[in-house]
Amino acid sequence: MKQINSINGRELKEMLATATSWLEKSASDIDALNVFPVPDGDTGTNMLLTMRSSIEEAHLTGDSSVSAVAQAIAKGALMGARGNSGVILSQIWRGLAQGLQDKKSFNGSDLAGALQQASTMAYRGISNPVEGTILTVIREASEAGQSQVDSGSDDLISVMEAVVNAANESVANTPTLLPVLREAGVVDAGGQGLYTILEGALRYLRGEVEQMQFRKPQIIVSSIPLTVRLPQMIAAGEEIYGYCTEFLLKGVELSPEKIEARLRRKGKSLMVVGDDSTVRVHVHTLEPGNVIRYATSLGTIHQISIRNMDEQHRDFLEMQKARMPEVDIATIAVVSGDGLADVFTSLGVTAIVPGGQTMNPSTKDLLQAVKAVASGKVIILPNNKNIVLTAEQVLSLTDKMVEIVPTQTIPQGVAALLSFDYEADFETNVQLMKEAKSAVKTIEITRAIRSAHLDGLSIKKRQAIGLLDGELLAAGNNTIDTLNKILAKLDLRKSEIITIYYGADTELAEAEKVNSSIREQYPHLQVEVVKGGQPHYNYIISIE
Amino acid sequence: MAVKIVTDSLSDITSDIAEGLGITIVPLTVLFGHESFLDRVTITTDEFYDRLIHGTVWPTTTQPPPSAFLEVYNKLAKETDEILVVTLSSKLSGTYQSALNAKSLVEEKCRIEVIDSQTVAMGLGLIIIAAAKKAQAGANLDELTGLVRRAMTRSHLVAYFDTLKYLAKGGRIGKAQGLLGSLLSVKPILTVKDGEMAPLSRVRSLSAGMDYLYNFVAGCPRIEELAVEYCTTPDEAERLVERLGSLFPKERIYRSTISPVVGTHAGPGAMAVTVLESESN
Repeated sequence: MKQINSINGRELKEMLATATSWLEKSASDIDALNVFPVPDGDTGTNMLLTMRSSIEEAHLTGDSSVSAVAQAIAKGALMGARGNSGVILSQIWRGLAQGLQDKKSFNGSDLAGALQQASTMAYRGISNPVEGTILTVIREASEAGQSQVDSGSDDLISVMEAVVNAANESVANTPTLLPVLREAGVVDAGGQGLYTILEGALRYLRGEVEQMQFRKPQIIVSSIPLTVRLPQMIAAGEEIYGYCTEFLLKGVELSPEKIEARLRRKGKSLMVVGDDSTVRVHVHTLEPGNVIRYATSLGTIHQISIRNMDEQHRDFLEMQKARMPEVDIATIAVVSGDGLADVFTSLGVTAIVPGGQTMNPSTKDLLQAVKAVASGKVIILPNNKNIVLTAEQVLSLTDKMVEIVPTQTIPQGVAALLSFDYEADFETNVQLMKEAKSAVKTIEITRAIRSAHLDGLSIKKRQAIGLLDGELLAAGNNTIDTLNKILAKLDLRKSEIITIYYGADTELAEAEKVNSSIREQYPHLQVEVVKGGQPHYNYIISIE
Repeated sequence: MAVKIVTDSLSDITSDIAEGLGITIVPLTVLFGHESFLDRVTITTDEFYDRLIHGTVWPTTTQPPPSAFLEVYNKLAKETDEILVVTLSSKLSGTYQSALNAKSLVEEKCRIEVIDSQTVAMGLGLIIIAAAKKAQAGANLDELTGLVRRAMTRSHLVAYFDTLKYLAKGGRIGKAQGLLGSLLSVKPILTVKDGEMAPLSRVRSLSAGMDYLYNFVAGCPRIEELAVEYCTTPDEAERLVERLGSLFPKERIYRSTISPVVGTHAGPGAMAVTVLESESN
């Protein structure tokens, strides 16, 4: 296997150039992943521009020591940093440059040490670091580099391989750590960008520059199953992002800490990095004027960029829409509970609108989802009696062909979605789904919110009550008791499968007890326990 | 001289039918580690599924080498001057390529046509049966080639898989990818589309799956040939044949087993029906 002991400043420049052109190839793919902190779709581009600024600065330096080149790269990154990810990237380079100070060349152990400094510096640039982002990726990658050195093999390639592999895993894991990524069905864009840069560097070390011309970096696949959800859903509500305000401040005796403290309440995603003569400021603010006015009182400002993020966000949504896989017939389901959302997603629903009992989505929410899906034919599964009417309002508000399959419960929605026929036309599918929904029975177990006499039942507050297809049918001392009362009223001889979705406030262990209780009484049934995570209902049970 | 018909073992044509209609079958190879078997020549369907379910070694399969086809071509070329070869979909296996490569190596003077059926199992089998019947009736190679190409658009296979496990392991799943990752236990209904496995729908139980297969056949207006095949559930297949008897003469329904090669992906418990629609006039 190829080994490299160390590289010098000239090679570092080449490595940087190779990594940058590698990043360039997937910049637009990375843009498309961008949902955090603001879904404005520019992470890849920002990181690329930051890297280019580094390259320019590196080429200006005549000194070919690693130390001088790394300083130049860091300076270039600071001068040219764009966006959140660009600023963090500039911090990474700054930490690396510090770690490589006074070195003519560097080996694997130097690299591992410098990466650890880079990680520390990256965290330092952010006032409230969030995990599941580029920060996690640089930290885990640098740790892997160090363990590789500690395990005794410290040639440059093997250290870099350990770093790249760890970065890969770390990126794959970002949706697990950061819910907004999971909801959007993407890995973190900044993390992906950093991984791509590191991978490009590794390929340079391996001598694969020639082959790279014909290849493209891959977007890492998440470690948990993800499905494309709607861009609209990512940014639910009417959040206003304001202006992404960035500039370089030059002066004397500047204090990044003081500036940061002063700007902290002026906006979000604030980053202030640099030294006493040059400071880069990045902030999302509703009042860019105030920020600029304050900065000009401290020194001169350069490279001012003020971008309207709401406009960017709209462009981003358009871009996402264009990239969404075209489906002939789209399905939209109203679901609450992360487990149930996962179930619907895994069964191929095109979009999920959050909502359910006591949290009905508005017609506007549903309309937005209908508009967002990349299909002219849309089937809506309301999954709740109270939402069917809301859903019907959508029909007159859009030019798209929309049909409501009036599912009143989650199990009806699941059954309808399952029966979807990939080859059949719109009308046939609507018909199939309507038939399928009637073939399933739903039991819901919840707690009474007050005492009452209803349908001949005397119910005490907090008592377990059970509904069959929406009708109150039983009350009991506990969930199993109540469930059994309902099951006893049903003819289960022809039923085959019972699926138990247990709620957010219900323990798996209890659900397993329900499971064995049903199995004992009805040995011919196949029983499945699935985490539903739904609010209010301890159990939603489907009988097919 | 009658045209000779050649296909591969993934057509699922039983040896009885092959003999009766003069069809030559070239077997694919099933490998368990270093042990290799010729599909349904040196390993039976039952032996295969027994090892698939209970064994520790995951089977792989390989296309027949061109030499296997060459041997068949050379032998048949002594009896005829026209051979028609129809293979399973080239998107699922390299068998078509082998059959094609062998063609240029034949020394005897003989016309050979090789067609990629774009389908598999009885989807291919019923096309072959239709062609063989016409060959026996004296159709020439050009007529048969046309017949096969037309029949390809009329052959519809619908399969029920009892589990997604083997599909996920096997890899070659084309558009069926979308069926994976379900958090509920579901049983996929698949078809072959554009030469690849493609999803049709999903059901949650065997009986719902059998209903789907039955309803699919019931929805076909003109049935020329009908086939039912299974991996490990002959009784279930027989029940389905009984039910289908209300739609099509029971004694004319072809029964067969799904080849180990397909079974590696389909898994035990899979079943399929194939309808060859009659040509509309």
